[in-house]
Amino acid sequence: MTDELRLAVERRGNDGAILHTKGYINNVGGEEIATRAYELLDGGVRTLLLDLRETKIVNSIGISILIEIIEKAMERNGRVAFCCLTPVIHKTFHIMGLANYAKIFDSEESAIAELGLAA
Amino acid sequence: MTATAERQMELTLPMVPDIEIAAARAAGNMARELGLSTELVDEMTSAIIEACINACEHSRSADNRIYVRCVGVSSDGNPRIDIWISDHGRGFDLTEVRARRQQFGALHKRGRGLQIIEAHMDEVEINSTPDGTTIHMVKYGKKS
Repeated sequence: MTDELRLAVERRGNDGAILHTKGYINNVGGEEIATRAYELLDGGVRTLLLDLRETKIVNSIGISILIEIIEKAMERNGRVAFCCLTPVIHKTFHIMGLANYAKIFDSEESAIAELGLAA
Repeated sequence: MTATAERQMELTLPMVPDIEIAAARAAGNMARELGLSTELVDEMTSAIIEACINACEHSRSADNRIYVRCVGVSSDGNPRIDIWISDHGRGFDLTEVRARRQQFGALHKRGRGLQIIEAHMDEVEINSTPDGTTIHMVKYGKKS
């Protein structure tokens, strides 16, 4: 019924990565992101950017999983950021408090520049 | 003279994975027909998704059905959409859920859906009893 989440990982430098998502972030999609994010954190990534430009819906269960990812990254002195959110996802992230713990950027270019995610 | 358009829709949906998307798409199509802007439609569909997830995840209803009713009116280009999402489950304590959602963190999952609903809709009324729950939501919009 829905477009299943697809993920692409782009490593940036020694300790950075960009996760490109495409599709619905629900419980299933959220767990897929979490699995990849934890693999990256275990592999030494400390700056993780989630590019959501091709995701139009994130539900509350998906948000709970994203919060878990933020918390686990913070436990390891890492950081999570988001970019390219739709207006409704942007508003939802602010309501849910994600914006207090993860930076949100309008574009991938500005996120890469500010986070220092060298190619 | 006032030009008025009206649409009505009723759906009975099984509680199966991703069924919330079906409800959201149907209501979204109706809202677009009535002239709601894309951003307002997206807010409304986000709230519908959360209301359906709430029913699926927490109602423990015996019939495993979600009942969706939408009524849309547009008078002189000013749309109003009323949506009722109901289940025949056991209900929940709204005060307790609202108290839980104040904290950030993975342990505080319950209540986020209702928070999203209330943030994205213009009016929300929740009636939850041991016989079931109905969430009535209203979205107003300007012609796109």
